[in-house]
Amino acid sequence: MDALLEFARGPLFRFSLAIMLLGLARVVLLDLSAAYMAYRRAGDKSIPWNWVIRRTLMWFFPVNRIFASRPVYSLFSIIFHVGLLLVPIFLYAHVELWRGAIGFGWWTLPKAVADWLTLAAIVFGLLLLILRISSRASRFLSRKQDFLWPLILLVPFVTGYICANAGVGPAGYRFGMLLHILSAEAIFILLPFTKIAHCVLMPLSQLISALAWKFPAETDDDVCTTLNKKGAPV
Amino acid sequence: MKTTQISAEERKKAFASARKPEVVEKQRLDVRYHVEDIDVKDRPRRFLEAFAAILKHSNYQMALDHYVRMSAKCSRCATTCQVYQATGDLKDIPCYRSELLLSVYRRHFTLGGMLRGRALGSGYLTDEKIQEMADSFWNCTACRRCVNECPSGIDHGLITHLGRYILSEIGIAPRALVVSVREQLEGTSGNTSAIPVPALVDTLEFLSEDMLEDKGVEIPFPLDVEGSDYVFYPAVSDFLMEAETLMGIAAVFKATGDSWTTGTGYFDGINYGLFYSDRMLERILKKIDAETRRLKGKTVLIGECGHASRSAKAFLPTYCGGKDAYPVINIMEYTYDVWKAGRLKLDPNVITEKVAYHDPCNLARQGWIVDKPREILKSFCKNYVEMTPTGIDNICCGGGGGTVSIDEIRSYRTAVGGKLKADQIRKSGAQFLVAPCANCKKQLKELVEDQEIDCEVMGLHDLIYRAIIFPDSMKVKPAEVESGQKGEE
Repeated sequence: MDALLEFARGPLFRFSLAIMLLGLARVVLLDLSAAYMAYRRAGDKSIPWNWVIRRTLMWFFPVNRIFASRPVYSLFSIIFHVGLLLVPIFLYAHVELWRGAIGFGWWTLPKAVADWLTLAAIVFGLLLLILRISSRASRFLSRKQDFLWPLILLVPFVTGYICANAGVGPAGYRFGMLLHILSAEAIFILLPFTKIAHCVLMPLSQLISALAWKFPAETDDDVCTTLNKKGAPV
Repeated sequence: MKTTQISAEERKKAFASARKPEVVEKQRLDVRYHVEDIDVKDRPRRFLEAFAAILKHSNYQMALDHYVRMSAKCSRCATTCQVYQATGDLKDIPCYRSELLLSVYRRHFTLGGMLRGRALGSGYLTDEKIQEMADSFWNCTACRRCVNECPSGIDHGLITHLGRYILSEIGIAPRALVVSVREQLEGTSGNTSAIPVPALVDTLEFLSEDMLEDKGVEIPFPLDVEGSDYVFYPAVSDFLMEAETLMGIAAVFKATGDSWTTGTGYFDGINYGLFYSDRMLERILKKIDAETRRLKGKTVLIGECGHASRSAKAFLPTYCGGKDAYPVINIMEYTYDVWKAGRLKLDPNVITEKVAYHDPCNLARQGWIVDKPREILKSFCKNYVEMTPTGIDNICCGGGGGTVSIDEIRSYRTAVGGKLKADQIRKSGAQFLVAPCANCKKQLKELVEDQEIDCEVMGLHDLIYRAIIFPDSMKVKPAEVESGQKGEE
């Protein structure tokens, strides 16, 4: 198991991280290049920046939209996301690994806060799944990945929490860590190709939606030509 | 949970189709709106061709790519959709409606979707799916309230807009809209209500006479005055149905003395292109541009109409010169400015009824015009009440997105589309409901009638007309009024 653990921590980690970073960079670049093309062909190039920036920030810190619709779900979702984002990036143990590997680290969460946030991510992740299953509308809209993602995301949190806090013995610890690392790597690899890509795409959403309403100037003529409808009556 | 759903009986009535079964059979299309004769052969292939052509010459692909990558299916939109709230039909959830088109896009226009579809031999676009889209996209009132609630920033209104556009290219569009646009673009009258110019001139003269009698002031509707500051394009149906709104607008211009004109070459602000075809949107806007140019006007002034205002404001720059296009304002912006500058006096003792303001979606959803009309109303209506939610979160009248012009679906609009609005109006207890939009007005008038609510629906300028104060210097002496009228006779 040690060899497997080493493999998971070394080459496999680097591979999955590379897939994630390249994959996410790909979707962001695709978005940005499409946005640039859209801007270039738009007949009206005035982008409502105020609106776009305000809305983007609003959804980054969506506190004032919580109670507008599905308040419980929205509140749970925010708490879940806070834990989900902060713990992996700012956990002391993770930062130390980075420091060892790349020579520098960054601010870390106090242990107690990290533990509470981990628990919050687990509990509220499960609650979100329960709400998704129990709401008729959510259940109807959901695809397989929508039910699976909360569960997949919870594996590294649960294993990490157990390894860090429960006396599971050396063998148990190693097994837990292996699961922790492998599940995180699976997430890294899947992330750019599934809805979780919203972690990098969301900041672009408002801009993309605003730009999509900026049509090219000669739509009528061009579409008519392509569809062979030139001169056809209305 | 609070139920806003309609009863089974109401539902049956609302969804009753006015179409003859043999037509439905012949067109192979089971929708509630009338559709002109269409080619039923190879519909999926033609749909995909139209889809491809539109994607090629538009910016929609960028948005579709973005949306298919990140849609999280949180279903927050469900709780904001007035249609879903009324029907309780899961297929009316905005995210589901969008998915209808997104799934076609994914299957036929993305590499992953094509490979998966080919490998599994599934997902190919079928007649049934087109039928479902044709039904679903016209159940939506295009109010875009769901857009405000989508954390992913998905514009379901944009997808519905695109879906209708593609469908229209294969002939599936409500006949009521297509016929109007045909008259507007190719007919002899050149407007959606088919009003000939002599009839327009007569109507305006008649309104001026009425105002002279009413207010003792000569209030003209200037026609074809070159070089005017404002060239006026109301929803043309106002000339037939909303005389008081037009009289209010003319009265405001009389009070300020600013130059405005209506062009007899083209005088229709209505643009159904916004509802079903970007191609028509472009053609109609080019008519506004040409007429404004002919009259050497300075600003395009749109009357009390939400979609006319938004289509001109947002898309005149798109199709007619970018930043060099004519500036576009809505009449309420003008009235607000002159009122704020003290150039318009309103009597605070005339309107004693309980007044509420309804936000037209196309004016309020993106925060364009929300507070200005309220400020004016509060200044002279003693008994102003607010309906909630309001402003950018307002509830649609239920006839948005062109559905109000489809008379055969009135029962749907007033039982389903307008259900939440009716509840809201009832709760407010308003006696006068100010709805500065030709679409909203028609829908709300039908809504209060069908839902039996004791409330009068009107425009902002209808009330302004009642309360406007003219200086004595503008008043024509009674004898002159009489002789003027006798002379006319």
